[in-house]
Amino acid sequence: MNNHFAKTDLNKKQRLILYASIGVILAGAPLIMPNNYWLRIYTMSGLYVMLALGLNVVAGFAGILDMAYIAFFGIGGYTFALLSSSQFNIHLPFLLVFPIVAFITMGFGFALGSTSMRLKGDYLAIVTLAFAQIFKLMLLNLDRPVNITGGVNGIYNLDPINLFGFKLVSPVAYSYLIWFSAIIVITGSFRIKRSRYGRGWQAIREDELAAESMGVNTTWMKLMAFAGGAFIAGATGALFASFQDSVFPNNFDFPQLVIVYCMMILGGLGNIVGVILGAVLLSILPEFLREYGAYRMMSYGLILIVLMALRPQGIMGEIRFLVKGRRRPDKDESGLLRSSTELYYEEKKQAIEEHRKRYSKGDRIILELKNVTQNFGGLKAVDNLSLKLFEREVLSIIGPNGAGKTTLFNLISGIYSPSSGYILFEGSDIAGLRPNKVVKTGIARTFQNLRLFSTMSVLDNAKVGQFCRTKSSPLSILLHLPVYWKEEAQTETRVKEVLSLFGARLTGYRFDQQAISLSFANRRRLEIARAISTNAKLLMLDEPSAGMNPQETIEITNFIKRLRDTYGYTILMIEHKLSVVRTISDRVIVLDYGKKIAEGNYEEVAANKQVIEAYLGRKGH
Amino acid sequence: MDVYLQQLPQQLVNGLTIGGVYALIAIGYTMVYGILFMLNFAHGEVYMIGGFAGWWVLHLLSKNSMPIMNAAIVIALMLIIAMGITGMLGMMIERFAYRPLRKAPRLNLLLSALGVSIFLQNLVLNYQGAEIRFFHVSSLIPESIRVFHIGNVVLSFTRILVICVTFLLMALLTVMVKKTKVGKAMRATAQDTEAATFMGIDVDRIIVLVFLVGSALGGAAGTLVGLLFTQVDYYVGFQAGLKGFTAAVLGGIGNIFGAMMGGIILGLLESLATTFFPSAYKDVVAFLVLILVLILRPWGLMGEKIPEKV
Repeated sequence: MNNHFAKTDLNKKQRLILYASIGVILAGAPLIMPNNYWLRIYTMSGLYVMLALGLNVVAGFAGILDMAYIAFFGIGGYTFALLSSSQFNIHLPFLLVFPIVAFITMGFGFALGSTSMRLKGDYLAIVTLAFAQIFKLMLLNLDRPVNITGGVNGIYNLDPINLFGFKLVSPVAYSYLIWFSAIIVITGSFRIKRSRYGRGWQAIREDELAAESMGVNTTWMKLMAFAGGAFIAGATGALFASFQDSVFPNNFDFPQLVIVYCMMILGGLGNIVGVILGAVLLSILPEFLREYGAYRMMSYGLILIVLMALRPQGIMGEIRFLVKGRRRPDKDESGLLRSSTELYYEEKKQAIEEHRKRYSKGDRIILELKNVTQNFGGLKAVDNLSLKLFEREVLSIIGPNGAGKTTLFNLISGIYSPSSGYILFEGSDIAGLRPNKVVKTGIARTFQNLRLFSTMSVLDNAKVGQFCRTKSSPLSILLHLPVYWKEEAQTETRVKEVLSLFGARLTGYRFDQQAISLSFANRRRLEIARAISTNAKLLMLDEPSAGMNPQETIEITNFIKRLRDTYGYTILMIEHKLSVVRTISDRVIVLDYGKKIAEGNYEEVAANKQVIEAYLGRKGH
Repeated sequence: MDVYLQQLPQQLVNGLTIGGVYALIAIGYTMVYGILFMLNFAHGEVYMIGGFAGWWVLHLLSKNSMPIMNAAIVIALMLIIAMGITGMLGMMIERFAYRPLRKAPRLNLLLSALGVSIFLQNLVLNYQGAEIRFFHVSSLIPESIRVFHIGNVVLSFTRILVICVTFLLMALLTVMVKKTKVGKAMRATAQDTEAATFMGIDVDRIIVLVFLVGSALGGAAGTLVGLLFTQVDYYVGFQAGLKGFTAAVLGGIGNIFGAMMGGIILGLLESLATTFFPSAYKDVVAFLVLILVLILRPWGLMGEKIPEKV
């Protein structure tokens, strides 16, 4: 989506002007509010911006429909109230209690995440909703036998915030404090979105299985999303409690959750500027409906229905905010229009000039399968299969439909773990490892029916491949520590290098195009590029030429050949087009009903009687 | 322990009654899920509006809290009109909030359903206010048959009524799904929407019908609960909806007979829980059941696990 706008699309001067004007607005706004009523709305909109951006981490970036989000807001509020009021006579200073609250809430986020993570989509929504309901029931009922939460009456008269000896009591002071915090959350959101974490979450949102198979540790990343969202919600809850000087169960109920969801969806899931606008808009607009009471909530309901039907991507959607003059794809610096074929042939000329060391097949075994069997409830999709793959070899797997070829890929890449048998990669057993761990050992795959991260740019798709080769923590990302800059630069260089293997097909203006807008053949190329970006040694290509026209097929065939000869990759390939198989395979294995029925070079296999039977059927007797 | 044992028959009866109601609500969830794979979040509000419709009929047909005609006719009219109104409502929800999203990702549908739920809830809040509406059941049902005592079990007339009506409705639905042509079309659509289209089934009509039937049953549940607990307010739909969904999940979502069983099991569990926990935590028990089932056996207590296809 909008990953680079602050970095590349605005120059330094423009950025300074932008920051300065935001600063002036924020410094002046509380002072020009007509009365305390509007000042309160202004402050509340700051809180809603924080709240919506926190939800945006879980639901917007990672696509997890977390309905317990409002409970985290409540946990923050109540924890703050309990630690700085006369309820238990604990009066901790604000600067201590604030981080405590945020981290406690984050702990709850972790706990909820780890229990409900296995669930998907609406099941997860319902489970988290049930958690939120339990939380609310506890708030209402934990005033007996020991008064903890104060029941319906809540907790009130909280300690005033004391910052370095200054007591924060005036509404103006609160508005500064809250908008200052909001700015921190906004900055953090932008930074995390542009990082490996942002890309990892977005990949999960687009296609969880593909993300996992490209080396993203989805379990950990989803936990981090839950925890990150909870952290922000908890901190916001503390500020809210202090601002309201009280907490009630009703502050953290379902309608509040719907309001925050509306804000996020109105802005566009994952779009930070949009979410901020959505939060501000929905904090102010309903004030004009205030005298009509329930009309306000009704309007939220209608907003959801209408948005989902007409504009599910939100008001901001994919529009690039503040970005003018998109680069014209097919123009060079002189402003001349060029056709894409011209670009292509130019790339080809370069390719010919390439003089590199040529690789040839090695005799070291890189991958070995020993008696691997996969049972699907009685059906043996792969039956006692053993095979060896040598270094820098192209091994093709062929066989009729349902022969178990893709199952074999799923077994090696860790999507299934085999019922029995061993899978050895460079001597160590990888059977049963999670896909992201398999990628880390050096195996990457493509999918037969294309599983790209559709709304991510070409560049970002490939960058996801680098996820498992980088390790900046959220902290170094948020603080922009040197390790972050180093790894980002490394990722960028590596990924551009990989994409340039395909020449103009995937480079230049294509870097910023969404994967979904690519032609079918280019999507196949991008899948391969994404796999190469994981720094894999072994590439598993699942029908790389499927759906390509003859010209494109020749091109991809040569490309695969080049991958081995020039760059030294080992390739395991499933392919139906026998012309491709014949041209580039060192060896061919034929599968039928999960069993290996033939193995050898193409000519041997093609002459094998069993193979002919498998493809054409047995002659009648 | 003796105390609990003495209470047991009473709790079983209570559980069976409320379980029947949950089952009626669950059927609406499960039928829609079976065909559209969506969680009809607005179903709880349909139930709530069913309750209000019943109250409204009773209110219109009474003078000074006394019914103006035979009580049996009043109750029948309450149920029929409530079912009619909610059935229509269900069809409208489908038409305006879900049909435009037929091809959209499922999460969009869920969010749209959330919108419908909030909208309906506050619509009722607008026109009915936040106060509780009471069903003056005591004047509706003659005193001679209002309460029966069997051993130490107290059995009110409304309880018997609720049990009878829920089981009658479930039996009717079973006949419809199993024996009629429309039922066959429904089952075919649930199995494979596309194949059903190719066999000449008008899938759109089946979906409308599913919403009609499911919502009408939800509406009946609303009125029945109104008669049982003698009150309704704009906020009852939310909790009831969650309970109904829990029941549907318990029985394996998509499975109509599972939903019936799930409802009854949930009702029994809840009413047994009240013997051991303070009644304020009754709902906590229901939600814990929901969480545990979804996490441990998301395919339901009775359903079979279907391996996920990659």
